[in-house]
Amino acid sequence: MSFLYAGAIAFGIGAILSIVLPNNKLRVTVNLIAQVVACYCVLFVTIPVLFGSTSIVGSLPWSFPVERVDFEVNSVGAFFLSFSLPMTLLGSFYAVGYLKKDILSERHVGIHFALLSMVQISYLIIYSVQNSFAFLVGWEIAALSAWLLVIWDHRNQKIRFAGFNYLISTHLSLLFLVSAFTVVHGVTNSFQFADFIPFFQKPSIQRSIAFILLLASFGLKSAFFPFHTWLPRAHSAAPAHVSALMSGVIHKAGLFGVVKVILMMGEPELWMGWTLLAVSSVSAFMGILYTLVQRDIKRLLGYSSTENVGIVGIGFGLGCLGLTLHQPTMAALGFGGGLLHILNHALFKCLLFYGAGSIYRFTHTIDLEKMGGLLKVMKWTGPLFLLGSLASAALPPFNAFISEFLMYAGLLQSTPELKLGQMAMPLFATLLAFVGGLSAMSITRAFGLIFLGVPRDPEFAGDHSKENIWMIVPMVLHLIGIVVVGLAPMWALRIVQAPAGMMIGDKNITTEKWLALMPTSMLQSITFVVLAFVSVLVILLFARFMLLPKSNRRHVTWGCGYTSPNARMQYTGSSFSFPMVAVFRDLLKFWTKEDLPKGVFPKDGSYSTNCVDSIEHSTFQFLNWGERVIHKGLSKIPESMGFSFGIGFIGLIVLVTLVLLK
Amino acid sequence: MIIVLILFQIAIILIGPIYMIGVINRVKSLWAGRRGPRLNQNWFDLLRLLRKTPVYSVVTSWVFPLAPIVILASTLTASLFVPLIPGFAPYSFTGDFVAFLYLLGLGKVFLMLGALDTGSAFEGMGASREATYAALAEPVIMLTLGTLILASGSLSFSDLIIPQTDMVTSLAIRIALAAVMFIVLLIETSRVPADDPTTHLELTMVHEVMILDHSGPELAIVQYAAGIKMVLLAGLISALLNPFSFEYLPVLAMIVSTMLIAMVAVLVGLTESLTARLRFRAIPLFTFAAFLISLICLVLVHSSQGTVQ
Repeated sequence: MSFLYAGAIAFGIGAILSIVLPNNKLRVTVNLIAQVVACYCVLFVTIPVLFGSTSIVGSLPWSFPVERVDFEVNSVGAFFLSFSLPMTLLGSFYAVGYLKKDILSERHVGIHFALLSMVQISYLIIYSVQNSFAFLVGWEIAALSAWLLVIWDHRNQKIRFAGFNYLISTHLSLLFLVSAFTVVHGVTNSFQFADFIPFFQKPSIQRSIAFILLLASFGLKSAFFPFHTWLPRAHSAAPAHVSALMSGVIHKAGLFGVVKVILMMGEPELWMGWTLLAVSSVSAFMGILYTLVQRDIKRLLGYSSTENVGIVGIGFGLGCLGLTLHQPTMAALGFGGGLLHILNHALFKCLLFYGAGSIYRFTHTIDLEKMGGLLKVMKWTGPLFLLGSLASAALPPFNAFISEFLMYAGLLQSTPELKLGQMAMPLFATLLAFVGGLSAMSITRAFGLIFLGVPRDPEFAGDHSKENIWMIVPMVLHLIGIVVVGLAPMWALRIVQAPAGMMIGDKNITTEKWLALMPTSMLQSITFVVLAFVSVLVILLFARFMLLPKSNRRHVTWGCGYTSPNARMQYTGSSFSFPMVAVFRDLLKFWTKEDLPKGVFPKDGSYSTNCVDSIEHSTFQFLNWGERVIHKGLSKIPESMGFSFGIGFIGLIVLVTLVLLK
Repeated sequence: MIIVLILFQIAIILIGPIYMIGVINRVKSLWAGRRGPRLNQNWFDLLRLLRKTPVYSVVTSWVFPLAPIVILASTLTASLFVPLIPGFAPYSFTGDFVAFLYLLGLGKVFLMLGALDTGSAFEGMGASREATYAALAEPVIMLTLGTLILASGSLSFSDLIIPQTDMVTSLAIRIALAAVMFIVLLIETSRVPADDPTTHLELTMVHEVMILDHSGPELAIVQYAAGIKMVLLAGLISALLNPFSFEYLPVLAMIVSTMLIAMVAVLVGLTESLTARLRFRAIPLFTFAAFLISLICLVLVHSSQGTVQ
């Protein structure tokens, strides 16, 4: 426990020093050193827990009404801590490159780094406390620091709006969380998670209400559809590393919440598993559908997060069904796949966001339709982004393939206990396959538009500054993680062994027992297949470039006889996704602005379409309608003093009567 | 015996593409009243292409020459798991069908990237269509496999296709699923009615338009890989319909499978001769029809299992 306290104190000192020290370089250096020390302290104790040693427990006194805060880092908490801390540290390193201009300017960059340290502290709280009150405090620290990080460029009104939108959403999430804790407190009369367990283990109406409220809260935090609307806005407004950390790491706290609830329940009811599966499937599908129509890289990546939490949720839903029906293999595959996908998503999503930041620093735009041909000038970011996007489409030989593989195996297990539900399982697998196909389309579109062909906008040249080493190194490290999980799935399974074991109700699961639950032969086979693929690839490459004719003969692209092609004639992003969008037109909402040429001597016309988020659109419409209705109602109330006093007195009398009657 | 079976698989996969294209072209010619090219004409075409010096577009980057090789490598690796005869594949393990699907997906992604790398509007158009139809066909394949898994209770590609107790239902389901796979084959390998490989109007093509700028060895590799993919899907159909398993009558099973693959080629040729290409807007509906057949099969399998228990 003392190592955890030491870590928290080191983060705190780093945060304070980076604010009080005199110049930017000093502030950043000291903060990074403090973060490294703190991460080392924490990982030193959490990694053994992750691999099966006993949980770390501790306790601190606190004032009324909490009195005592218990800490426990069990294997699930250790799993979340073990990737969150180092990835946030890498994000802070990336920030050095990304905010280079700010660091060299007069602006106080220390605040930004202090906020990153605060985020780190919030992980320590959220993933370890066993007290609902302290949990809320950690939750709030994370939310506020993330908000302040998002509005780093606060001079831009759009960014302030996105930040405000996020602030409201995250507090709606808090509202649901507080109400859920209130319901639970009403029954158990306690703030301690330990006292919640008996309540959560017995089915009751209150438990169902609490489950729904918690699901809504965590769904808002992790941006499940239809609670995702804040996410693309915030992600496109924030600095690249903040988007990366929010999407990949900070909002995994919502999924941690789901895990925590399932852990406390032990054995969820059948409808809970199905609800989770249904909600998550919709999330995965709608998320990926929206990525197809985005023009802004970071918005695109944001929607892809909604897709990926959906995939994780499918795993958890499957695990819940496994727990209810006492199918340990199904539960292990569901939770193992889900937890592994959390890690995988964090790895590739951070890589992609860092890539997007690197592109932004290079070109000063995030509009896909203006880019093109960057692969020739961005020697590092190009290949890294390609590999990251292949990973995000769950293609072999990369990491997400492994976690989705586990889920497919779980979904297609033969489980006669499911009865009619057994028919639904292949349908969920089908949906997952469809999501895979769509995400392949989406990444092809994104990579093709950014890096291949020639720049689409004649004015787009980029400042051709060099790629920053501070930004490249974190990307390379994430890529290493992606490849290792992809090539050595057995190691990856060891990482999720203890936490997934805990979720299926076997705290001290042994490696043998765990591997017996997993289709291990299949994972070994996957290693073999991946190696076979790589070696075939190498042999073919060798054969192609050694034996077959090579050439440097170059010619303009064949334009079917057209002799003066230009960059504007390339296929655009919206035309690329058109055939698919046409199929799902009813699910998306398009705003078209047209000013078509008219008359005998037409002037220049224009035509533009914009895909708006239909959920956000209808939310705003609803709010607008509500505002109008209330305004109408209020305008009918007479403004005279007597009337207000009368209403006030009637209210007071009713209140007093109610109090007295009780 | 196993070695013979493996050699059979390798032979079919390596030589099959050439003759399958040959058979299709021959059938089309005969139907049109011509004699048509030799059955192994494709072989000479590929050899000629391999000897030529390629010309690259000035726009392309390293992705362009890399793409065909990734496509071929992923298709070849995927061919390891596909059963051409019921119950046998050179390498099979639990969940190998997922690896099969995703490896083919990797190939498709690189085909599209290669097309986008040329910066041509035509190739972008082809890539866009390919991406759409591939994404729509993916769930159909998964549902078909899911149905087979529910029927057989096994998660391995080669064991999926086992005879069932209830012969009539089993046969009906097999034939229906073979029809689904045939539709998938037409879409995935860009044949009529989803796409017309012989058209010379670039606006209407899907696969051919993506390889407009490929020349020499690159073109040969992409075309060969597309042929292998066709053989793999045809092989799946033959395994579904083949009544002989590899355990009892392996030689007969091999002969029947080869004939069934040839039959599929003839059917593709006939379809090309007899039907017109669908409008692009109708192709999603075509895929959806296949999806519905699969769904009906899923319900049938589930209900027939209910009565058995």
